[in-house]
Parts: sequence; structure tokens; C-alpha cells
Amino acid sequence: MKRRPLLAAGLATAATLGFSRRGWSQTKPFDGMTLRLASVNDQYSPGLKALAARFHQETGIAVVVDILGYGELQTKVTTDYVGHTKGYDLATTDNVWAPQFAEAGYTVPLNDWMTRDAAEMKLDDIYPVLFTALGNYKGKQVAFPLAGYANVLAYRKDLYKSANLQPPATMQALVANAYTLTDKAHNQYGWVANGQKGAACAQDWMQYLAEVGGVLVANGQPTLNTPLNIQSLTTYRDLFQKAAPPGAVNWDWDGREASFRSGLAANMQTWSVGALGYFDPKQSKVTETAGLMVTPTADGMKPRYGIGGWGIAINADIDDRHKDAAWTFIKWITSPEIHIALNQLDACSFLRRSELHDPGLNRKYPFLSVIDESFTHGDADFRPRVPQYPEIQDILGTAVNSALVGAMTPAAALAAAQTQALRYF
Amino acid sequence: MQRSLLRLTSPRRRSLFLFVMAAPAALHVAVFALYPILRGVGFSLFQMNLMQPWLHRFICLRNYTDALADPEIRHSLIVTLIFTLGCVTAELVLGFCLALLLWPDSRFNRVATTLMLVPITVTPIVVGLIFRALLDPSFGLIGYWLVHAHLAPPQGLLGDTRTALPTMMVVDVWEWTPLVALILLAALKALPSDVLDAAEIDGADHVRRLRLIILPMMLPALFLVLVLRVTDVFRTYDIVFAATAGGPADSTNLLMLSAVKQGLLFFDIGYGSAISILMTLCIVLMAAVIMLTLRRMDRRFNES
Repeated sequence: MKRRPLLAAGLATAATLGFSRRGWSQTKPFDGMTLRLASVNDQYSPGLKALAARFHQETGIAVVVDILGYGELQTKVTTDYVGHTKGYDLATTDNVWAPQFAEAGYTVPLNDWMTRDAAEMKLDDIYPVLFTALGNYKGKQVAFPLAGYANVLAYRKDLYKSANLQPPATMQALVANAYTLTDKAHNQYGWVANGQKGAACAQDWMQYLAEVGGVLVANGQPTLNTPLNIQSLTTYRDLFQKAAPPGAVNWDWDGREASFRSGLAANMQTWSVGALGYFDPKQSKVTETAGLMVTPTADGMKPRYGIGGWGIAINADIDDRHKDAAWTFIKWITSPEIHIALNQLDACSFLRRSELHDPGLNRKYPFLSVIDESFTHGDADFRPRVPQYPEIQDILGTAVNSALVGAMTPAAALAAAQTQALRYF
Repeated sequence: MQRSLLRLTSPRRRSLFLFVMAAPAALHVAVFALYPILRGVGFSLFQMNLMQPWLHRFICLRNYTDALADPEIRHSLIVTLIFTLGCVTAELVLGFCLALLLWPDSRFNRVATTLMLVPITVTPIVVGLIFRALLDPSFGLIGYWLVHAHLAPPQGLLGDTRTALPTMMVVDVWEWTPLVALILLAALKALPSDVLDAAEIDGADHVRRLRLIILPMMLPALFLVLVLRVTDVFRTYDIVFAATAGGPADSTNLLMLSAVKQGLLFFDIGYGSAISILMTLCIVLMAAVIMLTLRRMDRRFNES
């Protein structure tokens, strides 16, 4: 007698569980699946990790986020792709890697999915330049935009005011202001940029070069030592020698940022992703006096705001079910609501017009109009998006640094760089 | 099985025992040292860029001839040789002096020997970052004052092509001299005291004892130190990568930086492997020179 009610209760529970399980799996087709995501260690990565738990709750897909340094990420992901080891299902992808990955077919082209889900994903809300910059190569979208950065000018409002200067409208004005605001006797410098040999100085000079109209690759061939490029590097070297803090020739991003945040430098072109830190008293001494504006260009030139950041790509080697789950994650993390949530977690990485106009985010980030303007008129090609980019960057990294430290003249450095670059084309 | 083993003669049993004892080490070397080197040799004979798998093909020694003709590699080789020679010489001289100072057994020397271990325990990449921060002319605790006292160029010791390499050598010497001193100290402590006492009774002064007794008996330890340090310094990567990234210009661009760049930045495994194999050959050559020189010195000491 006692067993019957127990049996009935057991059957009822099993039935309930069974039904609910079926219902669960209907809304969560990938329930129980695990995706491994390799993410670069950047401003948005902690938010990505935090939101993975919410994604798990909503979809049943566990996303294991590995946060890696830039070089480590590049090495791990590339060897994973090359060795077909399927270590990662998803990987954040630097915009300059996209051409190589596209040519080698290492990541899944997303075009068909994007066409299918365009309305659901509100793709027209994402700035078009970000699709181009963060993962498109010759029409093939090998990574989906995840974190858009704009190159902006950070400047000291107080120093400009006391020198009766206006924020620079042109690159010529910026150079002139940098000299005016340099007062070595009072340890005040008008300009700072990355000077260290390698990617650091190459990338910053490429940005400066684009703003004065320089071009590094034209018609599929390197054009490193054109007269305009030589002139640009000469001005850049002079800025380093006369208006930059001592030691800037050996600084990468950390040193450059520290010099602005500590009040040593009056002007700095930088990625918008770090801008939140200028207004944080824990990280900055210029919270009240820092200003952000769009980067100036040479007199008479159209705006050419550099766009950078990260896309997110799906490993081409994984099975179709994992690819579908990975695409589900991409759709989710880049959706309007979740991307705002990511930025509420200090990501400072934007994609959508709606989030740049979101009142909550505008309160948190008092400079979103600058990013909106930069994204609207952004330039995805200020760094050449060609498969030979790593080699060009390395060659320029040595050439620019050699000119900055006076080891070579700008003309000789760029001529040597051109000779080397031709080997890769 | 047990019977067949028992039937073996004593020398054979001993050989078998030694073989069994050495087998794990030999296997380890074969799997983790020999195999990767052989794979590296194999890769180096191919045009093999991981980003262009469709272009992979056998090109025999072309990567080697390209590397030897590449001005960047040749410059890096010269920088690496200067760096190796400078660091190893300074570490050997300073390390030996330190070992001699720490030789007498006293409480101070025991404490000093322990403290000497500190630099060795710091990861090289962290050492590079620490010195980069310390020597920075704008923010560095040392660099700022050096520039203001006109003891360093305006761009700092690591920002000037004339001072960057010597500065990196000093950093390497700071980190690794204690290791050299410790090895040599161990060798000094192992010297037979009766020989040293006899020399002292015979009236040999400090210099003669050092030249005629101590140094000849320490040749095996010197060989160990030299080979260890030459191998290590020639392959230096982390310290320089963190402190200067090979700059300013190409002044600290060591060969290892070029090899890593080719392999892990450009993913040109063929060319990167060729550079690595050339580096291995250089190290083998230097080790052979050291061995022959010390053997000759050993013979000369024994004859005299």
C-alpha cells in the first residue's frame, strides 16, 4: 500500500521533468554545449567573461572565456587554426589579422548568416565602417564586429586655455600647438605618441600619416617612401625630438597613456577604448582638464578618422552544430541590449548608433558624440588591410624608430623599408 | 626471465643496469630535445608560412642562404655576438671575484650567498620590465636622475642607440652573475684543502696560488659556467624584448628576437626554423671552441 503513492509520485515527477526537459530543449537547442572563446586582454574582456554566465542562463550554452595577451592570442589562435586542433570555437580577432585569415580560410565567412538574420540583429544599427574595419576582406566577413574603437585626440583643456589656443582643427594646427605648449623648463610637453620600435611606433605613425593624406599600399604594391610619407615622418621625428617627453622613443601604449594621464603631455592621439580612464581619479591626474575630440586632418583634407578594434570569428574547423551555437553567441553578445550591458561593465567598446545615443551610456561616457562622429566618417584603411600587413608593420616599426632616434634620416629609413617591403609583394 | 638475468655475467648485469637507469633520461632527451631539433631541421628545408599553406614546398637550403644574405640577420648576429661576449666575460670575472670573496666560511658570507639568489629568482621578462621602468627618463627612479645629472643621454639609457646595448648587458650581468658566482663558489669549496695548504707552506702568495693551483683545478667548473652562460646569453629574448623590443633602431635586436618574429609574428616556420638551426650551430661551435681552449689550458697546466 505504501509503495503505490510513492510510485505515483515518482512517475509524476519523472513526467514533469521529462516534459519540462523537452520544453527546455525546445527553447534551448544547444543546452549543455560548451563553447571556448579566446579573448584578448582588453577593456571589454572582463565584461565578456561576466556576461557569459547570463548567456549560459538564457541559452544553456556555457562559454569558457580564455583571456590572453595580444601576442599569446595571435599565436594560440593561429596555431589552433593551422593545426586544425579545434581548441577554440570563437576568437576575438584583430582587424589586421582578417586578410590573412580570410585568404587561408581559417574562419567561417558570416555573410549568409548575416543576410538571414539582418532584421533580427538590427544590422543597420551598426556603423557600416565597423563591418569593413573589423573583419571584412574583399567582401568576405570573416569576423563580426565586437568592439569598435575610434582614434581620437586627447588634449588638455586647461593648457590650451592658458595659452589662448583653440583645439586644433587641422593637423598643421596640432603640430604648431604641440610646440607652443612645450615648456621643458616646467616639465610640460606638447605631444606624445608611441616611439618604441615595432608595432607601437608603426601603428601611431600610420595614424598620423593617414591624417596628412599618406598612403602605404597602392594598387597592390607598397609605397612607403613617397615624398609625402617622407615629409610626414620628418615632421613626426621633429615632434618627438622637440615636443615629446624624454624617453618617448622607447614608449609603447602604456608609457604614452601614463604620460597623458600624469599631466606630462598636452596632446595625444589614442584609441577611444582607454578614454574612460582619463576621467577616473584612480588612474588619472587630469580628470577635470582632459578633453576628447575627433582627430584633425591636414588642411583641406576630408576627415579621416582611424577605426580599430576587434571582431569575433568562428573557427572554420569546428562542427556545424558548434558553429551554429557560436553564431548564436555572436548574435547575443552584439545585440543592442547586451552590448549596452557590456558597456555598462566599462568595456568602452561600441558598435551601434543606438548605444551611442543611449542616455545611460552617455552619462557614463561623456564623450560618445566624438565616437559617433568618428564612426560616421571613419576610415577602415588607415592601416593597409592586406595579407602582408604584419610584415609591413614590422618593417615600418624599425624604420620609424630609426628615424625618431636619429639613427637614419626619414628618407633613408623609408627607402630601406620600401626595399624590404617589396620582398613580400 | 629472472633466471636468464641471473645467468648474465657481472659486467653484463652492470651494463644492463646502467642502460636501464639511463634509458628514461635518454628517452626524455630524444623526445623533448632531439625530436624538436630534427623537426626544426625538417621545417627549415621548406617554404612554410602557416598563413599561406597552399605555398608550402621543399626548397632545400634556400632558407639558410636567405638568412645568411639578410642584412637584418647579419646585423642581429653581430649584436648577439657582442652581447654574448660582453655579458659572459663580465659575469665570469665578477662571478669569480664574488666567489673568492664569499669563499671563507662566515655568517656574513652565508647570508650574502642567500641574498645573491634574489636576482636569479626573478623571471627575465619581469627583469626587463623593471629596468625599463627604472631607467625611464621621465618616470624612472634611476633614469630621471641620471638624465638630470647628465650621466645619461636625454632619451635615457634605453632610448639611445649608443647606450642601449651596454645597458642591456649590465641588466643581464646583474641578473646572472650570482648564478656564476654560486657555481664557482661550489667549485672553490670542493678544492682539496691539503693542496692549498701545501702551496701556502711552500710560500706561494695569493696570486701564485690562484694562478697555479686554484684556476687549473677549477677548469671543469669554468667549462660548465662558460657553456651554460654562452648558451643562455646567445638565446636571450625576454629581457630585451620587454625592455627595448630590439630598439632603438636595431641596436639591441638580438638573433632570438628575429627568430621569434619570423616564427610567431609572421608564422614563417621555415625561415624561423632556419634561423634557429643557425643559432644552434653557432652555440655548438662556441661550446666546441670553449672546450678545446680549456682542454689546451688543462694540458699546459699539467705539463708545467
